[in-house]
Amino acid sequence: MYTFKPYTERVARLRDAVRDRLMVADAVKARLELEAQKKYVKYPPMLQKPYMALYVLERMPLNIQEDEYFFGGLGNKGWGGAGGAMWVMMDIEHTWPMGEDGLYHAPDDDPFYSHQRMAIAPEDVKELREISKERMQLSGGFMAADWLPDGVEELFALQANPSGKKGGWPVYMPPGHLTPGYQNILREGYGAIRKRAQDWLDARKGNIMGDDIGKYMFYKAATVACDGAITLTRRYADLARELAEKASDPAKKAEYLSRAESLDHIATETPRTFWEACQMAMMYNVFLKAENDPGVTSLGRFDQYTWPYLKADLEAGRITLDEAQEYVDGFFLKINTFYGGGFGKNAQTTGIGNSYQHTTIGGMDPATGEDAVNPVSYMVLETMARLDLHDPTISLRVTKNTPKEMWDCAMAASTRVGGLPLLQNDEVIVPAIVRELGWTVEDARNFAFIGCQEITGSGNDYPAPNGSAMGHNGIFWAIALDMAINNGINPINGAQCPEEIRSGYLYEMKSMDEVRAAFEKITTWMMTWSATLNNLTEHEYPRLFPFPNLSISTEGCMESGKDVSEGGAKYNSYGGTATGLATTADSLTALKYVVFDKKIATGEEFLQAILDNWEGHEMLRQIVLNTVPHFGNNDPYADEEMTYVQDLYYNITRAFSTCRCSTYKCGTFGASDHVVQGEITWATPDGRKTGEPIADACSPAQGRDTNGPTAVLTSATKFDQSRLMDGMALNLKIHPTSLKGDEGITKLENLTKAYFSNGGMEVQYNVVDAETLRKAQAHPENYHNLVVRIAGFSAYFVDMTTEMQNDIISRAEHTV
Amino acid sequence: MSAPVPSFSRPRTGPDTEKGREPTGRLYDIQGYSVQDGPGIRTTAFLKGCPLRCPWCHSPESQLYKKQLSWMAVRCLGVDVCGTRCIDACRKNAVELGKVRENPADGAKIRMIHVKRELCDDCGECAERCFAGALYLCGRDYTVGELTERLLRDKSYYDMSGGGVTVSGGEPLTQIDFVESVLRRLKENGVHTALDTTGYAKWEVLERTVPYTDLYLYDLKHMDSRKHAAVVKVPNEPILENVRALAARGKKLQIRIPVIPRFNADEENIRATAALCAELGEAVTLVQLLPYHNWGVSKYLRISDEPVAEAVPPSDEYMAKLKDIVSAYGLPVTIH
Repeated sequence: MYTFKPYTERVARLRDAVRDRLMVADAVKARLELEAQKKYVKYPPMLQKPYMALYVLERMPLNIQEDEYFFGGLGNKGWGGAGGAMWVMMDIEHTWPMGEDGLYHAPDDDPFYSHQRMAIAPEDVKELREISKERMQLSGGFMAADWLPDGVEELFALQANPSGKKGGWPVYMPPGHLTPGYQNILREGYGAIRKRAQDWLDARKGNIMGDDIGKYMFYKAATVACDGAITLTRRYADLARELAEKASDPAKKAEYLSRAESLDHIATETPRTFWEACQMAMMYNVFLKAENDPGVTSLGRFDQYTWPYLKADLEAGRITLDEAQEYVDGFFLKINTFYGGGFGKNAQTTGIGNSYQHTTIGGMDPATGEDAVNPVSYMVLETMARLDLHDPTISLRVTKNTPKEMWDCAMAASTRVGGLPLLQNDEVIVPAIVRELGWTVEDARNFAFIGCQEITGSGNDYPAPNGSAMGHNGIFWAIALDMAINNGINPINGAQCPEEIRSGYLYEMKSMDEVRAAFEKITTWMMTWSATLNNLTEHEYPRLFPFPNLSISTEGCMESGKDVSEGGAKYNSYGGTATGLATTADSLTALKYVVFDKKIATGEEFLQAILDNWEGHEMLRQIVLNTVPHFGNNDPYADEEMTYVQDLYYNITRAFSTCRCSTYKCGTFGASDHVVQGEITWATPDGRKTGEPIADACSPAQGRDTNGPTAVLTSATKFDQSRLMDGMALNLKIHPTSLKGDEGITKLENLTKAYFSNGGMEVQYNVVDAETLRKAQAHPENYHNLVVRIAGFSAYFVDMTTEMQNDIISRAEHTV
Repeated sequence: MSAPVPSFSRPRTGPDTEKGREPTGRLYDIQGYSVQDGPGIRTTAFLKGCPLRCPWCHSPESQLYKKQLSWMAVRCLGVDVCGTRCIDACRKNAVELGKVRENPADGAKIRMIHVKRELCDDCGECAERCFAGALYLCGRDYTVGELTERLLRDKSYYDMSGGGVTVSGGEPLTQIDFVESVLRRLKENGVHTALDTTGYAKWEVLERTVPYTDLYLYDLKHMDSRKHAAVVKVPNEPILENVRALAARGKKLQIRIPVIPRFNADEENIRATAALCAELGEAVTLVQLLPYHNWGVSKYLRISDEPVAEAVPPSDEYMAKLKDIVSAYGLPVTIH
């Protein structure tokens, strides 16, 4: 069995400090952003964005915490970042108790805040509110109601919000969500990148014709972007020198001085050591968040882009493996602090504690295709497992040659911190990227994961993986099926689709073919609208939200002189996710079985049962729950409906394109979207009641998989996973009794290998039992180290909302 | 609005209908990802019927060959939800109103039903009317083809892990025609096979499995035949003769010793058992010491109102001591 190493005292102190930190939001950075916005309000956006960033970076508060190994905060006075601008949407003055420290503290017992340690001063609350208002006035809203596309009100009317009212507003996910080109930044350095841009500008001074004017704007912006990154790095060098002066401990003094020297070096040059490489990657990440935080800038293939530096250090005798491990510990503890607090629906959807710094390890070497696991890959898992860190999310890319030791390490980590790492199958994904997205095989081998599960390139791709999904209309697949059999009416709010896509009621449908035709009509209409709204957003993006700070590291942009938002990246695509398709598939199976095949109930009886939210129809519901087959049990009768829905999803989206690209990627992932989506989804034909969660991600519906993990995995490989190029998540809960000893772990490895060889793309294991979870629910104080993973990220169980806890408990348990 | 309780019945499903000429067998369960019944990832087929009556048996529904009416209290929705459909369905008046339980989710009272065992003839008509799956007939018949098809579904998992199929019981040898055919079909398909047996059968019966069985999971309960017969109702001589015969035929054996307090857990018996295992030589690939547990108690309540005998599970320390004893005979041994 794989045994994890001990960690140092300094790492232990840092771990406790990170875990127990108080997230304090303040108005400082927001104030700077407002000042910058006013100063550069007349600049064109391509220049405005990097200049604003530079302004903020020159002035934002920096800090270096005790025991830290790496530097770079998000501009609050305290640790990491805290999302004050969002917090002040709450009535903090009346609902957050005032602490002895003079700060309002998020109420500890309120499930809305899930025991997060969040605090803010009264004057910051006030100022942040004023700043938000002023910034809104300066920038205006995007896609104002005044110029919405014709006919979209028909779509919006169908959307339900949690209070059940008609109409609503679609959710826009800005493009973003990507893997920056860390390896490109490390290879070239800001000085050289800046020089390339400046050379272009110098060569064309006073002589810019035709399309070159667009390039001029971009290269000019690129120089300012580099200035921003250089400035930030140098300010940290200065701060380190200040601390060195104050330090009384000679060792500490020497450490700060050495860091300062390194920071000055990497401000313009390429890194010389492992530490410098890690620091430069982290600083670039912080820098990106200064201007136009795209929410999800993941860490990419950390083990691949840092290993050459560690290898050189080791060969030169500059570092030991233990020292390197300490750096990796320090690196990911720091990354963990990038989470800035969240609450309510938003946090429920995206995950409390989720910093979005998804890190990819293992996988193929881009040039040779050989397995590229290296010592850093192990160090990342050592860090997460030993320190009980649930964030950032780690994905292990598995190849057919992944070393046995790495399998053991991954499985040992998975049993220790719950579902981490996610296991991703290169043998399916790499050829699929070549086939579906048209990348070169070398680039395909270099893919990385971001956010929940999304597949992206490494610094050569603008993937917009959450550009468009039906969920962004506030309508989900399961709702579409309810509407399809109910003459286009959404039962939750009574709103009805336009006449041309209504198909009558279930009792008027003579066969499953007619049910399917009705369903296809509605889903096609909704998905297509969703893509249309995305395409409008995309069209305006270059004019409103260019991102030169990112473009300087993205292959294709510096060569073409085009920003990522203009399609400058080497690869362009967009996509979306459909979480919980098992609920829709099981609903189709229930209709097929009960109404058409076995004729247990008439269409009228069945529809009435659904419209009555199953009340008064418990017998019929029990038949649906206990007699009708369900997805996830290796039963072809049920599984073919999942295949049908997956095929439909894929086929509808083949017609989609934007002005930037014509590649649409389907996905089946989604953090805990299934809980939030379930709340506004009426009762469904699979026996689910109104408001209950839908199935999560690509997993079977909760508790409906009763034939064990091999049945789940076999069901899940009956449809073509390799078309899910936006990524997929399959959660499998494994009972600890099936993992006894080395042999149990080996069997779980082999389970995964067989699933992967059958076409499986991804799986993650939760090794917990319901009893433990119930105990944890009752006595959270005793279970703070209990980590569980749900679809694409993991969280401390006791930190989750009660509904989420209940959902996890109800998930099928695979006991032995 | 509310709808009236519908009049429909649950359709009969499953392979019980239209059997061909193939032998059929009766199972009470099939378990996938079975990771403690032999090497690798396995599927275990649990057959019904057993000549032994071990008081510690954790699968009481495995003992009788006949299909048995079972009732799971936790699934019973109560007469306030279902009405008296199951009570009305019984022509023997064996189903009556029973106790009240509390719904753990909301504390609501659920008035359950009760089965009068002395009147029940296991006809299953009440179960057909129970949609919640609280009442069900335990036992399902499969043809050889049906079961083999079911067991082959996980073949890729067996192949990847060095696993296969375990045929267990009850005592599978009580359905020897069926078992022999199933094992043969599995071998024809290249599947590793294990037979989990008490060994209590005529050698001529057991011998029929020899060509198609890669590994025997073989129970040895007590070395003293008198004590053996007193508790499990059959003597041990055929069992001991059979295990020696299997070893002589070169078959691989995984010996399973259920460690039952006040029956066979004494050191003397464990020593005697280990001595036999040592005598069997290289045939024994593993000795498993299986400590008594009481997880099976809830299963008794599903098929019977009789009080269930319970014992205190042996301590970890005691199990470790027994493990050392067996180990001293040069045998590979595990607890569980």
